[in-house]
Amino acid sequence: MKKIIQKNWLWFLFIIPCVVSILLVFNNDRYYQATIAQVTAVEESTPQEVIDLNQNKDQIISQKITARLTNGDQQGETVVLKNEYAVSKAYDQNYRIGNKLFVTVNQQSNGTSVASIKGVKRDTTLVCLGWLFLFVLVIIGKKKGLLSAISLGLNVVILSVALSQYTDSQGANLFLVMSLTVVFFTVTSLLLVSGCNGKAYAAILTTLAGTFIAVGIAYAVMKLTGERGLRFEEMQFLTRSPREVFLASILVGSLGAVMDIAITMSAAVYELYAKNPAIESKALLKSGMEIGKDVMGTMANVLFFAYVSGAIPMMILYLRNGAAIGYTTAMNLSLELARALAGSIGIVLTIPLGLWISILFIQKGSEKK
Amino acid sequence: MNVLVVLAIILFGLMYWIGRGKGIRSFIALFLNFAITFVTIILLTYRDAAISITLVACILISLINLFYINEITQKTKAAFYATLLTLGILLAVIFVVVHFSMTQGFGEEEVEELGMFSLQIGVNFEKIAMSMMIMGMIGAVTDTSIAIASSMNEVFFHHPAISRKALFCSGMSIGGDILGTTTNTLFFAFVGGYLALIIWVKDLNYSLGTLVNTKVFSSEVISVLCVGLGAILIIPITAWLTTRLLIKKTVK
Repeated sequence: MKKIIQKNWLWFLFIIPCVVSILLVFNNDRYYQATIAQVTAVEESTPQEVIDLNQNKDQIISQKITARLTNGDQQGETVVLKNEYAVSKAYDQNYRIGNKLFVTVNQQSNGTSVASIKGVKRDTTLVCLGWLFLFVLVIIGKKKGLLSAISLGLNVVILSVALSQYTDSQGANLFLVMSLTVVFFTVTSLLLVSGCNGKAYAAILTTLAGTFIAVGIAYAVMKLTGERGLRFEEMQFLTRSPREVFLASILVGSLGAVMDIAITMSAAVYELYAKNPAIESKALLKSGMEIGKDVMGTMANVLFFAYVSGAIPMMILYLRNGAAIGYTTAMNLSLELARALAGSIGIVLTIPLGLWISILFIQKGSEKK
Repeated sequence: MNVLVVLAIILFGLMYWIGRGKGIRSFIALFLNFAITFVTIILLTYRDAAISITLVACILISLINLFYINEITQKTKAAFYATLLTLGILLAVIFVVVHFSMTQGFGEEEVEELGMFSLQIGVNFEKIAMSMMIMGMIGAVTDTSIAIASSMNEVFFHHPAISRKALFCSGMSIGGDILGTTTNTLFFAFVGGYLALIIWVKDLNYSLGTLVNTKVFSSEVISVLCVGLGAILIIPITAWLTTRLLIKKTVK
C-alpha cells in the first residue's frame, strides 16, 4: 500500500482535489444566495402546434413541475413551477427529474408555494467536464500535459485580471491592455513549454513580431478599404468601440497559432544546427521553409473552423427568420472570416520571420564563442 | 474593395511565396472548406438531420485536408481513420455534456438583442449545438493527426525494424510536444472569437457564481473544453492506428 502511494503520489495529488471539488459542486447549494430547487416530478401537456410568421412549424409543450427547495430559509419545502418550452429549445428548455434550477419563490396559496424559474445550475457539468479535460490532458501528455495545463490556467488568470482592469477603469485603451497581455501570454507560455534558452527567446521574439505584423496588416487593410464588407452590428450590444474590440480580438486570436508556428520553426532550426553546427544559413533557411510549407495549410484550417463554427446557431436563426443568405453571411461571418484571414496571414508570415530570427540568434550565439 | 477580398488576396500571395504549389493547394483547400461549411449551414437550416449532415461534412473536410493537401499514403489514411474514430467518440461525450448542461441555443443576454426574431423555428438546437462543437474541432483534429502520422512515418522510415510498442511510444512522445501548442492555439482562438462577449459579461458585473451558471458563459467554456478534448484524444488514437497500419503491412 505504502509503495503504491509513494509511486503514484502525483496522481493522488490530482484525485483528491478532483473528488473533493466534485462532491462540493454537487452539494454547494447553501453557498448560493439565489434559491435553488431540485425537480422531483414533471407533468407534461400534450404538444401544441405553432406556426410563426415565416411558416416555421414548432411545438409548444407546457410542464407542471414539482420541486424541492435545497437552500435558504424554506429548505426542504415543495414548490410548484410552471414552464413552457418549444421543442426546438432555441431559448427555452424542458426540465427533467433531478435538474437543479435557480428559482424565485413568489407567493404561497393554500399551502403550496409557486415559484418562477430563473435559470439552470450548470456548475456541476462544468466542473466534471473540466476535470475530464485535465485528466485526459495529463494522462496523454504526462509531464508536458501537466505543463500545458499549468500554462492554460495561468493564461486564464492573466486574461481575467487584465480584462477586469480594463472594464473597471474608465477610458482605458483595450488594444493597449491586450497588447501588454499578449506579451505576458507569450513569455509565460513559451518559457513554461521550452524553458529559458535561445530557442525560447527566438520563439518569443518571432511570436510578438508575427502577431503584431498580422494585426498591422489587418488594420491597414481596414483603413485603405474604408472597412467595406465588415459588419460590426454583431457587436452592437457592446457599449465600447467595436473596432477596438475587433482589432484586439485579432491580436489575441492569432496569438496561439502564431506561437505554435514560431516554436515549430525555432525548434527545427536549433535541431538542425545541433546536428550539424557547420550548416550554412542558406541550407537552414531551405529546410525550414520545407517544414513551414507543411504546417501552414492545416494551421489556417484550425483557426478557420474554430472561428466559423461559433456563428452556426445564429446563422440558422437568421435564415429561418427569412433573412437573405447574403445578408446573413455578412452579418454573422464577416468578422469571423476577417479574423481567420488575418490570423492565417500571421501564420504564413511567421514562417520566414521565425527562420530569420532563429538563424540570427544562432549566428550571434556562435560569434560569442 | 472589400476587406475580406483584400485579406484573402494577401494570404494567397504569401502562401504562394512560401509554398509555391503546395501553398496554392493550401489556399484552395481553405476555400473548399469554406464552401463546405457554408453548404452545411444551409442544410442544417432546412433539413432535419443535423448530426448526419455534420458527419458527412466532416468526412469531406478531412478528405480535403488530408488527401488533397497531402497525398493518399499510409500516413494520411491512418490520420483519416483516426479523425473519424475521434469524432465518433467525441460525439458521445458532447451528447452527454449538452444533455446535462442545457447550453444549446441562445442565452437570455443574447435573446434581448434578438427581439425581432422568432425563436420557435422548428430546428432542434440541441443537435445544432453538437454540430457546432464537432465543426469547431475538425480543423484541430485533422491538423494534429497528420502531424503525428507523418512524424511516425519518418521514424518508421529510418528504423524499419522498430517494434510496434516502440513506434507507438514515439508517436505518443511526438504527441506530447504538439499537445501544448495545440491547446494554446485553440484557447486563444476561442478567446479571440468570444472577446466581445467576454468583455460584455465583464461589464454586466456578474458574480462568479452567477457567471458559471449562465448559458452564454458556460456554453463557451464547454465548447473550448470539448474541442480541446478532441484535439488531445486524437493523439493516442492516431499513434495506435498508424502503428497498426505501418507494421502490419511489412510483416505480411
